[in-house]
Amino acid sequence: MLYALMGLGLSLITGILNIPNFAHGALFAVGAYLLVSAVNAIGNFWIGLLVAPLGVALLGLAIEYAGIRRLYAAGHDYQLLFTFGLSLILAEGIILIWGPVGISQLPPPLLRGGVDLGFTFYPKYRLFVMVVAGLLVLLTWLFLEKTRYGAIMRAGIENKEMVSLLGIDIQRLFTVAFALGAYLAGIAGALTAPIRGLSPGMGVDMLGIAFVVVALGGLGNLLGAIAAGLIIGVAQALVAAYWTEASTVVIFAVMAAVLLVRPQGLFGIR
Amino acid sequence: MAILETESLTKSFGALTAVSDVSLAIEAGTLHSIIGPNGAGKTTLFNLLTGTFPPTSGRILFDGRDITGTPAERVAHLGLARSYQRTTVFPAFSLLDNVWVAAFATGKSWRGLLWRKAARYPEVIERARQALADVGLLAKAEVPAREISHGEQRQLELAIALAAAPRVLLLDEPAAGLSPDETRKMVSLVRTLKGRYTIVLIEHKIDIIMSVSDRISVMHFGSLIAEGTPQEIQKNPEVRRAYLGGVAA
Amino acid sequence: MRDLLKHPVFLLAAAVILLPLAVRPAIASEIWIFAMFGLGLNLILGYTGLLSFGQSTFFGSAAYVAGWLLKHYGINVVFALGIGAGVGALSAAVVGYLCVQRSGLYFIMLTFALNQMFYFIAYQWTTVTGGEDGMPGVPRPALFGIDFKDPLTYYAFVSLLFLVSLWVMKRIVESPLGKILQAIRENEVRAQAVGYNAARFKLLAFVIGGAFSGVAGVLYAMLFGIVPLEAIGFVTSGNVVFATLIGGSGSLYGPVIGSFVFIWLSESVSTLWARWPLLLGVAFVIVVLFLRGGVVEAWTRFWTWRSSKQKA
Repeated sequence: MLYALMGLGLSLITGILNIPNFAHGALFAVGAYLLVSAVNAIGNFWIGLLVAPLGVALLGLAIEYAGIRRLYAAGHDYQLLFTFGLSLILAEGIILIWGPVGISQLPPPLLRGGVDLGFTFYPKYRLFVMVVAGLLVLLTWLFLEKTRYGAIMRAGIENKEMVSLLGIDIQRLFTVAFALGAYLAGIAGALTAPIRGLSPGMGVDMLGIAFVVVALGGLGNLLGAIAAGLIIGVAQALVAAYWTEASTVVIFAVMAAVLLVRPQGLFGIR
Repeated sequence: MAILETESLTKSFGALTAVSDVSLAIEAGTLHSIIGPNGAGKTTLFNLLTGTFPPTSGRILFDGRDITGTPAERVAHLGLARSYQRTTVFPAFSLLDNVWVAAFATGKSWRGLLWRKAARYPEVIERARQALADVGLLAKAEVPAREISHGEQRQLELAIALAAAPRVLLLDEPAAGLSPDETRKMVSLVRTLKGRYTIVLIEHKIDIIMSVSDRISVMHFGSLIAEGTPQEIQKNPEVRRAYLGGVAA
Repeated sequence: MRDLLKHPVFLLAAAVILLPLAVRPAIASEIWIFAMFGLGLNLILGYTGLLSFGQSTFFGSAAYVAGWLLKHYGINVVFALGIGAGVGALSAAVVGYLCVQRSGLYFIMLTFALNQMFYFIAYQWTTVTGGEDGMPGVPRPALFGIDFKDPLTYYAFVSLLFLVSLWVMKRIVESPLGKILQAIRENEVRAQAVGYNAARFKLLAFVIGGAFSGVAGVLYAMLFGIVPLEAIGFVTSGNVVFATLIGGSGSLYGPVIGSFVFIWLSESVSTLWARWPLLLGVAFVIVVLFLRGGVVEAWTRFWTWRSSKQKA
């Protein structure tokens, strides 16, 4: 489910802005670390969960304003270098501020412990994450499908010129899209923090998976990204039950296999 | 015998049928023009002939052999070369290099592909220079393509097709965007090519068509509505209706 | 401009000879190794116009395989280099085959995602690769009686190989293949129309570039005696793209210059501050926002400006 969130955010950014956002994983990591700081500062997990992703979204706004908007015409290699450089800055920044050692974050007292599901004992927090992430995906989906602004965003994926010809401020669309994508990455990170603990490298690992999700779902295909994220998440969980080490590799192997048969991804057009 | 033929060629893009049941026969050595209002399907027809995409149905025959569905990169080797309506060259290359890559592709052999210096292929260089000379651009052989004028780029467009030493030339609006003076030059250029190649020409400028064509086919909404000599076409009421929208003669 | 063209050969020879006087032989070796790596990438990136963001796949795989064979089977250097080229080419063939059918953003993402796959395999297969700790103990066996343990001797070997690889790459880019790849970069549709199967040529570019990167990987493993996990990671891929772009991807020598700049800087700064990648990231950002075209373009523009001033 988290993969769906990450995939959706990245798909939005790559679809609308048409740039390779290699900083997406770093934004995820920042979200997680901001949560930790927020919780430590405020003392309340729930408020931290609310605040941290907003911080990431703000960061996204700043990034878009200061850098990305100058690179729309620049060509993918420069956009790539920029976001790659950014990911380095953010990852190292995390080390500077929070230290290089992994840290852990406990879930809020309400969600500690597990739930007896009959066949297995499932952590309460993970259920919570599944539900929240699912809700977020649903909300984002509804926003994009049902509201007017969402429709404009989707149109922007298809045909930017058309949208700007219709008199809509394409720059603002880009900024909002980037901030929204950043927000989704941030909240995914914040939600993840109590599950597996934090480390400065968590961004890179997630980045690869996010790219796989978008590749499988079809670039700019938002529903596809959601579906691919779910599929990958399930596949990984299944494999992890039997062969833990291979669980991450399996994600990529599945992608390679799918692309061999269907170069456009599972849901891509063409 | 017809060197290039189509049999009931059709191409649909979903609900839109761009080319509908077109059967053509181009005789070797002739200049056969295809005319019709915008959107009649002429460029799509060229795309089908050169393998840019396969037809929905129908056949294409070259020299009696069925080449339907042959992809673009193989069609060049069969002896069909094409110039495009919207200039599409290799901007960073010099003019000579532009035609050189086209000449090399259809050259006798690709030996030394990886190690022989490009300058050491005299046969290819000769054909490339000849193509530039044919269109009158030899003097500018070393100039990068992006630095020449639009008119010269249209000539280069043609030279690239010539460099392949094809048997059939498909020219898509070679005079597009040219000034009257440049158009005159282009027409006389096409005339000089007339005997040496079989030419299929798409053009909008009727006076060009009338003065160089041996035969004319007229397309409208994807179908062939008329075919004949220039004189026959001029008198054809169907053609008038298509172009003039039913205005009384 | 004719003078400038004569210079690269002299400059390079001079650089090769003088470099060990300026920096430690190990760093000097690293520069040429990285330059070789960059040459491989630039065939794909600069000449064919494909932004391969997973070049460390070929570099790292070759390093691991050759390192393993060197360590456990005591193969000789020539064989190791051959294996490196082979593994680099093979991994590039696999990656290339999956990727060349896509273009633009999709292509970049795929090369990256496949890179991550190899990375995770290396990460998890700890029995072979050592996972996070890397594969230590890669020997530097003698060749024809020459002992390479001395850093300067090894440097001579590395720089010699680099010069050879540069010559080979020069032959390739001046060959018809070089022109065809550039034609594909300039106008893929037209290149297909004149008779080249673009996908196959792109794959060929990948394989050749992969082979170069593979050889570089083996030399790297032997230089440091260890194959670190990062050799097959995301940062290495980014570094070589950066080095190539900063040197200028439009020319043969661009990656060489870029590697010089990159390795020299990174080695110098990393000893001063462990958080050196932060500065690297900042450097990337600055170069992208303000310095596009790279050093080579700035250099040629400088010369054009100067010669126009002289005429005036």
